[in-house]
Order: sequence, then structure tokens, then C-alpha cells
Amino acid sequence: MKIEKEPISGQYGKFKIDGIDYRIYWEEAGQGIPLVCLHTAGSDGRQYRALLNDKKILERFRVIVFDMPWHGKSSPPENAKIQNYKLSTDFYISQIMSFINGLELIKPVVMGCSIGGRIILHLAIHFPDKFRALIGLQSAGHLDPYYDISWLHRQDVHGGEVCGGIAYGLMAPTSPESDKFETMWHYMQGGPGIFKGDLFFYKFDGNIGNEIKKIDNSKCPIYLLTGEYDYSATPEETKSLADTIGIEMIKMKNVGHFPMSENPKEFLEYLHPVLNKIS
Amino acid sequence: MFKSLTEKNERRNQLSIMAQYLNTNFMINTVENEYLINIEKGVVTSVQEGPFVMPSYVFKLTAPKDEWLKFFQPIPQPGSHDIIAMLRRKVLKFEGDLHPLMSHLLYFKLLLASLRPVENKNEN
Repeated sequence: MKIEKEPISGQYGKFKIDGIDYRIYWEEAGQGIPLVCLHTAGSDGRQYRALLNDKKILERFRVIVFDMPWHGKSSPPENAKIQNYKLSTDFYISQIMSFINGLELIKPVVMGCSIGGRIILHLAIHFPDKFRALIGLQSAGHLDPYYDISWLHRQDVHGGEVCGGIAYGLMAPTSPESDKFETMWHYMQGGPGIFKGDLFFYKFDGNIGNEIKKIDNSKCPIYLLTGEYDYSATPEETKSLADTIGIEMIKMKNVGHFPMSENPKEFLEYLHPVLNKIS
Repeated sequence: MFKSLTEKNERRNQLSIMAQYLNTNFMINTVENEYLINIEKGVVTSVQEGPFVMPSYVFKLTAPKDEWLKFFQPIPQPGSHDIIAMLRRKVLKFEGDLHPLMSHLLYFKLLLASLRPVENKNEN
């Protein structure tokens, strides 16, 4: 029987992050300009499956997607115990820089969604010279909590069920059901407390105030794209961010919080012109 | 407005599987009216329309009628497509013991979305 093979290869490697060894899993495809993609809170790199299969992009870009520690196929650190996992801004930056340095990537493009869309702003503030360009999907400078996130990690509530339920609503009613289901399924497979721990960065530690004004688009071009159905990072919030930086934002129709995963076809229509500018 | 939740049980078999251990009752308030909804093993067994004198329920969802109508559109607008989106806009309020709701969040989202016209792809 002939199978339909994808051009993606996966690999494990040990990376030192803040002095501790982490076994990290990543996938990549294509050749050319390195394009490192960051998944959303509580999920993993499978969100970028369409990008890793897009022939047009793979002709010019080496697309690389890693699972954050504690997520997907990446392991918790050695000697880890069940703990109150909390993603801090510093640790998030450290893992991205360790990954990039570990793979010896020179001036990659980094694209992140949600928490990834937030951390690219921190990268733009602190390391603008290190990147060819930064792309933020569903980016907002800060987010105030609008529901009680303690429900995401309670022993009397199945974490997969509740995290999946939260993720489902963040997607557009117009996105294909099969892609929405897969996106939700990734959330249903997360470890206990990991989604909630990532939101510590998203709703508290990673909030950016006036520091946004330090972003200099001439040092490193920034592109911001946000789906219209996202109520976590709304198009209005991305617009306000873009206005502060002095750039245009792209509002994407018919998608929500997970454009690359919930409706890849629609998303790629918006992404191709951006990548054309970068390459 | 919510009375047809029982009528639609037959085509919601798959939904019931998501809540086969769920027995609860909850109130939906539209400001103009109230609906007391009883669920047994994931199946809506009754929907009573108010007004009530001494209703007993586990939790309550309150939103103005026009907000519920926006939610019931075949393809709702952004911000009206999900109950947490409505919560974010502060047009919907969750009250009471939220454990049955939060432990079956997707079930309740799809249960309410099942009141949208059938052609909506969102419905399971």
C-alpha cells in the first residue's frame, strides 16, 4: 500500500536552558531562511502541520517548530516532579534563545501565536538584532484575566476536557470542523496544569506596559496578524499594539485564536504575502 | 426560547455521551424570562419556563435576550459565538456552583449551540 508521506522530519536533542538539561522535540521541513514557529499555551508544534507541508513556503524557508518543555513530545526537565508549573517571561525567552543557538540558526524569522505572539514582542524589545523579522499571530501587549483559570487545573475536573472546551470556543464558527477538532485535541492531550501555567505568562508575568514603545520596527520588521473571532487577543487589541509600534496590522477574516491550525487554508492566504516581503 | 432543548434530544445522542454521568439542573435567565433546565445522564429531560417563586438550581447563566439571539445566529458574529466570549464582553454572567458547567464545558457549549439552525456546521 502506498502511503502519503509528508516532508517533515522530527528530532530530539538535549538543550541547556538556564543551566538545566531539557530533552526537546522539534520538527522541520524545507530549506532556506530559518523560520522558527512558536505554538500556543497548553498545546504543541502540531499546530503548524499545514505550514510544514506548504510547498510554496518550503521552497524558501526552513520551517522549524519545537515543542516547549513540558509540552507535546518534549520532556519535563530531568528529576522533574509534579509541581505548580508557571511559565515566566525569562524562562520563555531562555528556551527560545537556547533552541536557536543550539541549532546554530543565524538571524531566523520567529513567528509565534498567542503566548508566542506575546513573546515576540519581548524579543523585539530585547534582541532586535538577532532576528530577520518577527511575526506575531494573535498578539496583544497584555491581557487581563476574564475567567477564573483555576478551573484549568483541579483534580476534580478532567484537565483535557476543560482545556479542550476553552480552546474550542476561541475558534471561528466558520473554520473547518476537522481542523477545529484536531486543534482542540492537542489541548485535550496537555499535561495537568500546563495550560494554566502558560497562562501565568500570558495574563500576568508577560504583560507589557509602556515598554512596547521601545520596539523599533526599523531594527527588526514586525508583522502582526489577528483572527477576527479571537476574543482572547482581539483585533482591537492588536490594532492598538500596532498603532503604538507604528505599523499596520492584518485582520484575518473567518479565523479565531489558532489561525495556522484551525483554518490553515485561510491563514496561508494571509501569510504568503508577509513571507514574500521577508524573503 | 430554550424550550426546544428537549425536542432536540434525539439528534444529540453524541452529545449525551460527553456527559453520561452528568445529573444537574441549571437556570438560564434572559432578564425578561427564566428557564429551568434539568439534565439526567447528559440528556435534557425538562425545560420549564418561568416565572418561578422558589426555583432551586445548581448554577445560572444570565444574559439579555438580544445577546442570546445573537448567539443563536447560524453564523454568529465575533464575540457572540461562544459563551466564554460573551463572558469576556461582560454580557453573560455565570453564577452558583460552576462545577457541573466547567467540568462539562464543551458539552454545555455544544448543547446551547444546538439551538442554532441545523445548517450551522458548529453543531455536533
